[in-house]
Amino acid sequence: MAGAPLDLVQLSAGVVLAGAVLALWRRDLRALTSVLALQGCALATLAIVLAVHNGAVGLGVVAGVVLVAKGFVIPGLLARAVRAAPGSRETAPLVNVPASLVAAAVLVVLSYVVAGPLTALFPSPLTRLAPLGLATVLLGFFVLVTRRKAVSQIVGLLLVDNGVALVAFLLTAGVPLLVELGTSLDVLLVVVVLQVLATAMRARFGQFDLDQLRELHD
Amino acid sequence: MTATTATVVAGGPSAWATAAASVLQVGAVALGGPLLLGLMGKVRARAEGRTGPPVTQVLLDLRKLVRKEAVRADQASAVTALAPRLLVASAAVAAAFTPLVTTRPVVATGADAFVVVYLLLMGSVALALGGLDAGTAFGGMGSSRAMTIGAISEPALLVGVLALAVQSGTSNLPGIVDASLAHPGWLASPQRLLALAALVVVVIAETGRVPVDNPSTHLELTMVHEAMVLEQAGPDLALVTMGEAMRLGLLLGLLANLFFPWGIDASVSGPAVVVALAALGAKTAAMAVLIALVEVSTAKLRLFRVPELLAGGFVLAVVAVMTGLVAR
Amino acid sequence: MLVTAVLVVPLAAGVLAAVLPWRRSVGWAMVLANAAVLGLGVSLAVRADHHQVLVALDGSLRADALSAFMVVVIGAISLLASVQSVRYLEVETVRGGQGRRHASLYSLLVQLFVTCMLFAVLAANLGALWVAVEATTIATAFLVGHRRSDKALEASWKYVVICSVGIALAFLGTVLVYFAALHVPGHPTGGSVLNWTSLLHASRHLDPGVVRLAMALLVLGYGTKVGLAPMHSWLPDAHSQAPAPVSALMSGVLLTVAFYALLRFKAVADGALGPGYTRTLLVIVGLSSLIVAASLLLTQHDLKRMLAYHSIEHMGLIALGAAAGTTLAVAAVLLHVLGHGLAKAVLFLASGEIALMEGTTEIGEVPALLARRPLLGGVFGFGLVALLGLPPFSLFVSELNMFRGEMAVGLGWAAGLSLLAMAVIFTAVAAHGRHLLLGGPGAGPSPTSRLVGAPLVSGLVACAVLGLSAWPLQSLLYAAARAVVR
Repeated sequence: MAGAPLDLVQLSAGVVLAGAVLALWRRDLRALTSVLALQGCALATLAIVLAVHNGAVGLGVVAGVVLVAKGFVIPGLLARAVRAAPGSRETAPLVNVPASLVAAAVLVVLSYVVAGPLTALFPSPLTRLAPLGLATVLLGFFVLVTRRKAVSQIVGLLLVDNGVALVAFLLTAGVPLLVELGTSLDVLLVVVVLQVLATAMRARFGQFDLDQLRELHD
Repeated sequence: MTATTATVVAGGPSAWATAAASVLQVGAVALGGPLLLGLMGKVRARAEGRTGPPVTQVLLDLRKLVRKEAVRADQASAVTALAPRLLVASAAVAAAFTPLVTTRPVVATGADAFVVVYLLLMGSVALALGGLDAGTAFGGMGSSRAMTIGAISEPALLVGVLALAVQSGTSNLPGIVDASLAHPGWLASPQRLLALAALVVVVIAETGRVPVDNPSTHLELTMVHEAMVLEQAGPDLALVTMGEAMRLGLLLGLLANLFFPWGIDASVSGPAVVVALAALGAKTAAMAVLIALVEVSTAKLRLFRVPELLAGGFVLAVVAVMTGLVAR
Repeated sequence: MLVTAVLVVPLAAGVLAAVLPWRRSVGWAMVLANAAVLGLGVSLAVRADHHQVLVALDGSLRADALSAFMVVVIGAISLLASVQSVRYLEVETVRGGQGRRHASLYSLLVQLFVTCMLFAVLAANLGALWVAVEATTIATAFLVGHRRSDKALEASWKYVVICSVGIALAFLGTVLVYFAALHVPGHPTGGSVLNWTSLLHASRHLDPGVVRLAMALLVLGYGTKVGLAPMHSWLPDAHSQAPAPVSALMSGVLLTVAFYALLRFKAVADGALGPGYTRTLLVIVGLSSLIVAASLLLTQHDLKRMLAYHSIEHMGLIALGAAAGTTLAVAAVLLHVLGHGLAKAVLFLASGEIALMEGTTEIGEVPALLARRPLLGGVFGFGLVALLGLPPFSLFVSELNMFRGEMAVGLGWAAGLSLLAMAVIFTAVAAHGRHLLLGGPGAGPSPTSRLVGAPLVSGLVACAVLGLSAWPLQSLLYAAARAVVR
């Protein structure tokens, strides 16, 4: 793969990682949902380009599912949750924003180092992009661990998931169709489950902040 | 050294031509910087519904300041006198071999990104020392704040340029501009876009614009740069203003040429240089207008939020470098 | 046909429960279905014992000895749990004011949960295995939060978030294995790349660097579902807040189904890397789980939380046993899976009964059980003895053999450390158990219903019989172990 398709793939992969950085950077929860939508669309674009390039119909179907699920439905659900809950800012993350951005820089470099064997096995322009996906996974993990708002945690989870999907597309042009579809639908279901839980909790606690979840610990 | 450079650039212009081009660049920055400052003030005023001072106001101010008597604090040492001169000198040297008008400036092989960034850093440090020298509270506070910002923005600048260097395979600034001229498709590559975002943040911080610093404030809680130069007066203040204006012109010009290199001269022939000069003026003026318009509609960040913004720029730059490494 | 039936029967029962309004007979239908699963599992096991590998649905389902053994474990424990479910739903719907619809939903979700686990162990494709394990999270999310209390909702939130992340990492690991397999010359492409048999066949030629990265992610990812440190923190919350039958299923089988996935991947990784790498990973997570469990067990004051930490302990032991990786050790691991499943299910079910009778599971508020409720107290006491790995229960035999396996491969120091952790756990259990069981009778003894007593006693008896002699299973265990040991 070379030329314009490759440029597009590189651009999409870059957008996914930049989205993860933005998610760490911005405190505004509404901005986070748009970041997710952007990432979802970038992933779908990447999948479409790969599908056209490889002539793979199955991958095209997956791209459609990704576009609908990750580009629209999931961010839409989250945006609705943000609108419903008062206080749409991440006020007190466990690690402050500058420190977490510096940590992000370290994680990005780390993922580049870790991904060494992947590019070594099959050095192609696509596998070389895999570190971007790994970095997205690590940044998502970081968001999940250090942010307190329920929506931020879901965003962290979805960042991890988008990073994994990016790696899957880049390395294997999509794992078997069944598995790929299973993944996308599973993520959708998880978000729905979390939505239901969040709604139930908001109904009980008035508003819902994970800070209030302090009853179960050792 | 100049002679060998001329031979290294195969078939390039003569040493005299490159030297003349460099002098032209310094002149352009020295004249253009204050004009850009004036333009930004004018645009801000117009956007706020005022008429505002003329575009040449900064130049007129400079003329007025130069005529004044030099007044220095009693406790001030030689640093106070030296700092403004060092600031202007470092900016002038950097302007001499940064690819602004031509990609064939004097000592082109030495025009490394690292050299330029460190020259700029030298100016910042000199200014901060000047602020501390008089021993007043405001100067110290301003210097401390400026260094806090610079400590993150300078590395971010370096890493941001590094991202372009990785793509072009050289850290030589004229080389990077040449390579971007040869590959117009690079402009849309992810590492370019990320680096552009990072460098915009850095340039805004380095030149002390909103939302990092407000150049028109004299409120003790918020000012950064103005606090640092509060003790400077007369010709010293003229030099400081000049140096700052040159840095603005230099950084905007560099940013413009790194990402939109079109129009820059590559041969040091008469007409091409004139075109390049006009292109540089147009590009930097457009960026200045954009920055001024954004400034009008943006509130200054609280000081403790500034590192957040800059750290974001830094991470974007790191991400750009990594993307460059993987997407070659 | 037989293999497909294993999946269809519990699923059909679940659909039945969802359609019919809940009443006691529907509950018994669930029990019957799960008994059928156990029966089918046994017949699968008999065939597997004769080295017969059953394949169904175009080869997407596959039952070798290991799969058959896991089906038996799942069948046995879901049978125990479904008996208790009948009682739980009866009391909750009558007393708790929760409607019959709630009971129907509960039954459907439990049956889906069981079906997903069965699919996980029968899937021929390691990608499908991943989908099934992920699906268990979704099915159980609402079961954990079934009681809708603040704590239950908090627990299920944590459970879903942490397990989803873990399982996403496991998926990344699976993708990397797939990537490595794609670049093995002559390996089949398309949907069958992740098929267990072809993957194992190609394992020697997989790229070591990629497999190393993949295995680290898989141990971390599936380890989350297993409840291994450092991603264990969801486990005590989820197990303590879920309804008792669900806790029994989760602790008794769900953890070990996730571990089953690790066993499969370990065999592939060992082919590519030799046994050393995965062994190191498993020793690290196993020992840290034991340390976490030992240090936090002492301070527990809730029965179900205490049991949950025991689960972390036993998963640590299993991880160490698998780290040893000899046929003997893996056979012992599998016996431990069954023994721990039975004992833990019995204890969770007993604690559910205690919660129903006494209205609390705080250890401090239910003293002198032996005097007040002899049967329940006795079951609980024997169950704790089983968990501590004392004879005659099968956990003694399996722990002993796991230690022997660890010694044989030079992991004696790890075995020693785990014995140390178990000594600490022993004192914790002794302290808890003394308070819980012993003491003077405040009132006369009150009987426990036979419906409750029967599954508890039979579970313990099965565990003890297996401890005295593993004869019904001996050859099956070895056949299953040989499936994942070279």
